[in-house]
Amino acid sequence: MKVEGLLLLGCALFFAVSDVIYWVFSHDPTGTTALALAVGLAFLSGFYILFTGRRLPQKRPEDDHEGEIYQGTGELGFFSPHSWWPLFMGLAAATAALGVAVGWWLFLIGMLAVVLSAIGFVFEYYRGHYAH
Amino acid sequence: MSPNRSSPRGGPTARRLRRWVPRAALMAGLLVLTTGCKSSAFTRMGMVPPVTKQGKVVLTLWQGSWIAAWAVGAVVWGLIVAAVIFYRKRSDRLPHQVRYNLPIEITYTVLPFIMVGVLFFFTARDENYINKTSAHPDVIVNVTGFQWSWQFDYPQYKTGATSDVTQRGNMWLPGTNVATDGLPMLEIPENETVLFNLTSVDVDHAFWIVPFEFKRDLIPGHPNHFEVTPTSTGTFTGRCTELCGLYHSRMLFRVKIVTPAEFRQWISTQQAQQSASGGTQ
Amino acid sequence: MTATEQQQVLTEPRPYRKGSILADWLSSTDHKIIGHLYLITSFFFFLAGGLMAMFMRAQLLEPNSHLVSDQVYNELFTMHGTIMLLLFATPLFVGYANEIMPLQIGSPDVAFPRLNLLSYYMFAFGGLILLASFLTPGGAAAFGWYAYAPLTSAQYSPGLGGDMWIMGLVLSGLGTILSGVNFITTIFCMRCPGMTMFRMPIFTWNILLTSMLVLLAFPVLAAALLVLEIDRKFGAQVFSANSGGAILWQHLFWFFGHPEVYIVALPFFGIATEILPVFSRKPLFGYKTLVAATIAIAGLSTTVWAHHMFTTGAVLLPFFSFMTFLIAVPTGIKFFNWVGTMWRGQLTFEPAMLFIIGFLVVFLFGGLTGVILASPPLDFAVSDSYFVVAHFHYVLFGTVVFCMFGGFYFWWPKWTGKMLDNTLGKWHFWGVFIGFNMTFLVQHWIGMEGMPRRVANYPGLPGNVTTLNQISSIGSFILGASTLIFLYNVYKTWKSGERVTADDPWGFSNSLEWATSCPPPRHNFTSIPRIRSERPAFDLHYPHITSGRDREAEQQSIAAGRQ
Repeated sequence: MKVEGLLLLGCALFFAVSDVIYWVFSHDPTGTTALALAVGLAFLSGFYILFTGRRLPQKRPEDDHEGEIYQGTGELGFFSPHSWWPLFMGLAAATAALGVAVGWWLFLIGMLAVVLSAIGFVFEYYRGHYAH
Repeated sequence: MSPNRSSPRGGPTARRLRRWVPRAALMAGLLVLTTGCKSSAFTRMGMVPPVTKQGKVVLTLWQGSWIAAWAVGAVVWGLIVAAVIFYRKRSDRLPHQVRYNLPIEITYTVLPFIMVGVLFFFTARDENYINKTSAHPDVIVNVTGFQWSWQFDYPQYKTGATSDVTQRGNMWLPGTNVATDGLPMLEIPENETVLFNLTSVDVDHAFWIVPFEFKRDLIPGHPNHFEVTPTSTGTFTGRCTELCGLYHSRMLFRVKIVTPAEFRQWISTQQAQQSASGGTQ
Repeated sequence: MTATEQQQVLTEPRPYRKGSILADWLSSTDHKIIGHLYLITSFFFFLAGGLMAMFMRAQLLEPNSHLVSDQVYNELFTMHGTIMLLLFATPLFVGYANEIMPLQIGSPDVAFPRLNLLSYYMFAFGGLILLASFLTPGGAAAFGWYAYAPLTSAQYSPGLGGDMWIMGLVLSGLGTILSGVNFITTIFCMRCPGMTMFRMPIFTWNILLTSMLVLLAFPVLAAALLVLEIDRKFGAQVFSANSGGAILWQHLFWFFGHPEVYIVALPFFGIATEILPVFSRKPLFGYKTLVAATIAIAGLSTTVWAHHMFTTGAVLLPFFSFMTFLIAVPTGIKFFNWVGTMWRGQLTFEPAMLFIIGFLVVFLFGGLTGVILASPPLDFAVSDSYFVVAHFHYVLFGTVVFCMFGGFYFWWPKWTGKMLDNTLGKWHFWGVFIGFNMTFLVQHWIGMEGMPRRVANYPGLPGNVTTLNQISSIGSFILGASTLIFLYNVYKTWKSGERVTADDPWGFSNSLEWATSCPPPRHNFTSIPRIRSERPAFDLHYPHITSGRDREAEQQSIAAGRQ
């Protein structure tokens, strides 16, 4: 995961340098804060990727220039075959968003729907047929 | 990497040119038609004639920048058109599968850096000149923008204990001529430094006089200033150029640049009229 | 379900009930189907935004027209801008990324398939909320797509339309952020063996960098929008004028707004980069320089935001001007790489290639006017006039629309198994190219003569401005009509298009999606070829070609592996 992590850390470094230069020349708090948060985002992600990447086998098959396709055999993961929960969550989120604009009664209905559909979404593959 | 020419020059190339020259001429003609260019505007690259010292500096920078831009455009468009004409598929032979060429890549990385550096140098120089304001300008105008018209105050020319010469107008009414009364009139002298102080009482507006080659925003809570020295007389229309609500398109004003003598004459008349009527017009 | 189970299911015939295709699509977790949903929905928004544009151009046929009222005109340009940037171009990037990126890296799907579908619904419903705002009593938002404070406050823009604009964008923006997370995770974690980062196609690189920009920019927008809504609903004074709110909003908005235009540009640069080598029958020229240039563009795009604020008198001019000039350098590098790909190639001009060449011609001019605008003294003269409108349409339309259509013609066989009609495609291209230039070239002059942007009427301007406006409007109608050619092409292909049987109907494609069937199976590959370069499909189909191969590096790594 070295390339990925270094890409992000490199961006963090660039944002940090730009931020310092920007603050020194402009003393504008808004842009300086926004760039500082960008440093945070890039640094956090980059550091995490490099850090956890160390625990992985040093050369993942996809980082190996001589990687062979058979090295990727076996189960790649669980891929949901289809799901109706995203539609329900989307409708719930839309109701809540519209509720902010239209009125608090709608917002409360929307938030209730968001909570219920989030529970359904998260537990979809732990219930019923998929329970273990 | 030598070019692979299977056919002799003359035949196919001449045929290609015969096909392409009339098409290129047609496209060029269409291009000129769509530009609506007038010959006098050509040397100014479309900019209206400037009427201030600062505007003239902008015009020179504009012309220089466009020369550089057209040069770059000619090279790159030329390369694209040349590739399209001369590298059209002629056989099923696979071309040499070139993936990189370090010297060329370095060249077209370094050259643009240099060009951009030059542009930035001239930009910084002219920007400093345009943004300069002097300690003692000859005339000061306080511009106040509001939805949807303007007020111009001349704080140096009093009409009473707390009031000064003021010009305030209304928005343009559809169907009326722009050159009639109703629009606020800004009158300033040529060859003298005029400082504008810009404020807004409600939302963002912007003050734009086209032949000044300049505009500046009027931002509530953030006063702005700029200074110009007009160099020729005339009457022009100014506009608001930051969306400010429903009648943004009607927020016009008139600008009249006159000789210093005419300006002082106008000021005395205004002072007399406005102090007599006991307030702003 | 794993890939092997899916293969067994495919061999059994499945009965189709009426409406089951729609139900399949609406509950699909297949990135290809979700890609179809995104492309279709964003194209619908493109048509809606385009219709609004044509109403605006019809109004501008006369300097003092009453076709629409001032209020309606202001709503039209506000919604046109919002729709085109946030409901068309951004979801289009998500759609293209969904359709192609997993195939290009040899993965069976994206990292979070249900989240993918949820992001689509957030976009779709957010967009519907925005469209629905037209039906409110006060009408849609009318404060311009960048919504400057204090015009957007409850005092100056009361009414439900503004609130619906804000919340619709919060919702669809959240969907975009989640898609960004999905794509980065997929690219980092789900590549097939041998697909190292520097063998990924440029399109995938661009999706990665765009997704990173999305994570940097969209949260700032969402935060600013929510605070604006709190100002409007609860009377907070964050964006009020006397506490510096006007400039604060501009900084926050443009910190999002500038990366946003690169978010909508980079994926389409990626599309151009995929198409040019195929129709030049040569590999991409300068792969590594292109990756470096794209990283530079993405990084620099977060440091140039206040070039939209030069006329405020409130920003550090030299810093932003210098950074903006700098961004022209990597963009120029990309241009030369594209031209270098075509150079000494064997070019053919199918509609996909025509659109990409059209993009190169048009975007170049937009880039040049951009460099002009990067200079504050010149920006003071032409900012907020039709000159800027012309500039950004040249860069945005030139990139997004030309490359979108190029991508459609190129990838249609991969998505649907049928080729779009070539002849109709060529007519479509020329209609777009001529209509576009007729509409927007004259707008440079219109702006310099003194016509501001966002005006329903333009009194007091010289007579030639009216003529130029009329040319522009007629051009826009031609442009609109050319879209009908495309829609007819789609319909005709759907009804009676010829099926393709090859994995790679174009013959000289490079990236991995062209090593699987047209269209691909549910989890993309029944077998993946060995990956040894950035052109795995070409290597698969032309193993005998030795010219240009990185033989030396390959021999070295094989020798090192034996030790």
